Amino acid sequence: MDEISKQPTIERPPVGDVSQYPEQSAEGPIVIANEFADVVIRKVETRNGMRLDIWSPRRGSRILLDAVALDCLTFQEPELISELLERRPAP
Amino acid sequence: MNTKPESQSLAAWVEETREGIDSGRFPARAFNDQAVYDLEQERLFSKTWCFLAHESEIPHPGDYVTRYIGNNNLIVARDEHGEIHASLNMCRHRGNVMCKAEMGNASHFRCSYHGWTYKNSGELVGVPYMKEGYEGRLKRKDWGLVRVRVDSYEGLVFGCLDPEAPPLDEYLGGFQFYLDLYLKHGLGGVEVHGPPDHWIADTDWKICTENFAGDGYHTPVAHQWGFHLGYFPSSGSTHSQGWAVSIPGKGHGIGLGHGPNFPPFGGFPDDLVAEMKQSLSPEQVAVFSRTRTAVGSVFPNLSFLMQPFSLEPGEIGVRFVTMRLYHPVGPGRMEMYSWCLVPKNASQEYKKEAYRAYTLAFGQAGTFEQDDFENWTKVTQAAGMTMVRDVDFPYIMGMDSAPDPEFPGPGHAVVPYVNDTNFRNLWSRWADYLAGEA
Repeated sequence: MDEISKQPTIERPPVGDVSQYPEQSAEGPIVIANEFADVVIRKVETRNGMRLDIWSPRRGSRILLDAVALDCLTFQEPELISELLERRPAP
Repeated sequence: MNTKPESQSLAAWVEETREGIDSGRFPARAFNDQAVYDLEQERLFSKTWCFLAHESEIPHPGDYVTRYIGNNNLIVARDEHGEIHASLNMCRHRGNVMCKAEMGNASHFRCSYHGWTYKNSGELVGVPYMKEGYEGRLKRKDWGLVRVRVDSYEGLVFGCLDPEAPPLDEYLGGFQFYLDLYLKHGLGGVEVHGPPDHWIADTDWKICTENFAGDGYHTPVAHQWGFHLGYFPSSGSTHSQGWAVSIPGKGHGIGLGHGPNFPPFGGFPDDLVAEMKQSLSPEQVAVFSRTRTAVGSVFPNLSFLMQPFSLEPGEIGVRFVTMRLYHPVGPGRMEMYSWCLVPKNASQEYKKEAYRAYTLAFGQAGTFEQDDFENWTKVTQAAGMTMVRDVDFPYIMGMDSAPDPEFPGPGHAVVPYVNDTNFRNLWSRWADYLAGEA
């Protein structure tokens, strides 16, 4: 509860916003899900290029990755993801 | 369901049972009794190598299935580097179930209670509010998922809860020769054809293990329709022909049924037969080429069956392989897991035909399967009756049989196929475990 307005509030993570989720995109959505998490993925056209949009409906968080970011992911060890989860596993 | 009589201790009953097996007797009570079930959990399933999964069920990094050893639910997962691990399916924080789905793919498992997160290899990596809550006292390396020892043979992944138990190779003790008859179908080996069918049955797991350790005796009776209608290429008058082979002191056994007119490798496509002659040793080829039905059990609760089934009466039909696991869930109650194995290198057409033959004969709606469970459920019910607690069954077929000197494989091979030798070996090993002397 918001102490001043006494209205219920929800926690929004600092990254991404559901309202900004693109209604029109080049390709997608693709849902990648297992019993622990689910994300919605689209290819998004920008004015001058393209990005991969990964959106987490449960968290409301979102990241837009360009080719350089994605390329750099391809040569990481799986342990990098473990390190990221170590930093913030949940919520 | 019975409880043990107060007048006789369970230990004394186990000793009497061991003595009875030597003279060809085995008590009905073993098949439906709370105390016997509890002792199996404590002394047998906690010590033996138990089947978990076929490697082709978890072919890619992150693939996992959940399975059981005794009453322990386990995650069997292939980690990001391709190595297979088995871990207790329980969060180390407060004991919640980690993987609720029975199969899936995940790089990490995250508990739905407080969010503890583990690598799929079982190491703890993520603890919410680590700094704020634990103030440096929690060492992640001390709180990984509880690990279970694993080992594999030709794609079969086994787990063992006893760190002191001998290695899997020693445990199988030569039975690998016979497992190859199911697993080396071509140079690429075999793969599962889809996930297992599984269902609960009011049947004791041991009845199934015994039946699949080579009970050719029941086939012309329980599955009579298959003979009469021509779907199963054997004859009641010759069905006793073949070998019964057991691995003494290990509990494993296999029945190798012959038919006088059954062609070598009948029911397999020619190109696959050519590959099998390369993947199997000359001794294995000598055994395999004469075999129509191979029905074997790996102690304690894993079985295989290879047999032909024809949609056209009178034809040889298609050879299929089923693998089954009998997971005990209570006295006289089990969960059956049934897979169809197909040769990886076979054509899609043959895989489809073999799977069709399997589903017609086995799996929940299979005709042979229904014949069997009708009988096994009744046996289990009978074993729970109070008057039956002191009743023994005869296991005296082949008591005086000498091993066949011509037989080219390992173990104790006798003729005919219709024989109790494999079962005496099975019960003897079972009783060793229950006596704590395995």
